[in-house]
Amino acid sequence: MQDPRKLGRLALGLGLGAAVLGMSTSALAQRDVGRNLYNGPDHTLEITAPSGDTGPAPAGSKPPNLDVKDFNGHWVNFGIKHLAGPAAGVPAPLRPKYLKLLEKRMRDTNSGIPEGDASTQCFPHGTPRAIESPYPVEVIMTPAAHGQPAQVTILMETLHNIRRLYLTDKHNAKMGESFLGESIAHWEGDDLVVHTNKLNTRTYLDDEGTTHSTQESVVEHIHKSPDGKKLIVLSTVTDPVTLYHPYTTRTVLHWRPDIRNQEFICEENNRNGVDEHGITTAK
Amino acid sequence: MKRSTLHSLLAAASFALAASYGVTSSAQDPAHPDLSGIWTLTKPINAAKTEDGKTPPLTAAAKAVYDKNLALGKKGNRSFDGVSECLPPGMPYAQLLNKPFQVLQKPDALYFLYQENRVPRWVYINQPHPPSDEIDPTFMGDASAKWEGDTLVADIVGLNDKTVLDRSGLPHSADMKLTERLSVKDGILTDRITITDPANYTAPWTTVATYKRVPASFRIPEEVCATKVIQTHLDVNGKLAGTAVKRAPAKTASAAPAAAATVKK
Repeated sequence: MQDPRKLGRLALGLGLGAAVLGMSTSALAQRDVGRNLYNGPDHTLEITAPSGDTGPAPAGSKPPNLDVKDFNGHWVNFGIKHLAGPAAGVPAPLRPKYLKLLEKRMRDTNSGIPEGDASTQCFPHGTPRAIESPYPVEVIMTPAAHGQPAQVTILMETLHNIRRLYLTDKHNAKMGESFLGESIAHWEGDDLVVHTNKLNTRTYLDDEGTTHSTQESVVEHIHKSPDGKKLIVLSTVTDPVTLYHPYTTRTVLHWRPDIRNQEFICEENNRNGVDEHGITTAK
Repeated sequence: MKRSTLHSLLAAASFALAASYGVTSSAQDPAHPDLSGIWTLTKPINAAKTEDGKTPPLTAAAKAVYDKNLALGKKGNRSFDGVSECLPPGMPYAQLLNKPFQVLQKPDALYFLYQENRVPRWVYINQPHPPSDEIDPTFMGDASAKWEGDTLVADIVGLNDKTVLDRSGLPHSADMKLTERLSVKDGILTDRITITDPANYTAPWTTVATYKRVPASFRIPEEVCATKVIQTHLDVNGKLAGTAVKRAPAKTASAAPAAAATVKK
């Protein structure tokens, strides 16, 4: 039998291969056509997004755990949601200055000269952008021990991001600002409620370049579907500097027990190489 | 007797036996010693030595490479060490860094989460390696482990040759194999790593590192090595902030940095 990791990688590779098809002339490009996800009338702001995705776990994979408070295991976001505002293609409720900045970034991308952002500089993606990644995540839940609080760890394949959600009731005064912030969490029924703050301003809220201030905070409600196959993440973003009002964006992660996180070395760009035609690839 | 009851009794017996030797069992994996926690070296290690404190048995060719690395290191030139370019340290170097790491423990895996640039390492328990022709060499290798009594014994293969073994620059080849033996007693974690690499060492040799847990209030900070080499970003007002630091091209770089800008992640 083929190694399940390889099968998962192949499926993911196809999905991500599709993710770069906007620029590709490969056979895959002809199979998979990008979609414009921007809902507005201004065509200079179009987002041509891939429609490829990874699909569910193959038949015969380990069945999902039906304990709705047990998030352990591997999960994959099947699609990349662009403009991670209150709905697909709808920007966050940005104040005018920050909306203009977003539009500038989108036009720069459309004109072929995108700004470097956190991910292209090998910095963690920030929140909520990180959970939108199409690369797998592994969730590991561990109890309190040795003076450390219970922890829900989200190991992200992309950029080897690590999110530690501490099950405590207070933020730690010693923790400074960081790319992924400081997250504390508690249970409300079957929802894991995560509060994240202390986010530095070197990241965007989404792939398109929605900006935020150091006053950003995010409350995530994470719950598992009764069939155990989905983790649904509702992220409510608050930022009194850049936003008129808070908004909520939704991400669905799918149970994929057949894969393992692979080594992702942004620092040597081992996953986004350029082929002999100068076309960026992803694997 | 129900199977679950039997398991509980066995786990309790194992706990009692382990406790009597200064070993406590894991809450996540009651049948085995508790290796979890945030650990740091009991004393810094600048150069890996054999168990009896000697320089490893280098071949003549490897000694020449090592002497060159030592000479560079003395001049403050770290070009032989990928860690200086934000690459993962590899093994056993990751275990010899003078920075904390967190161990998460599950019955089927041990996770090492290094403070150093957020590098993760997976040690899968009771799960065999994939077929050798399906292992793509990586910085941290493919680790398959089994419990032998109170010691977790990991077999590590599939390590690439882009790393050195330690801060001093001990070389290795891509054919290197490691055997890692992890055990805990009286609050001290011991990692005994045997290096087998005939291309560079005339015989297998073992290096030993010991660790203590950090104070309970310590949390691993988010360390982002890339901020040291690429420091431009646009601030909240869309202004360029920070300073572009010219970075020497990495020996292993496979693509122009600009290429990544076109990929959505």
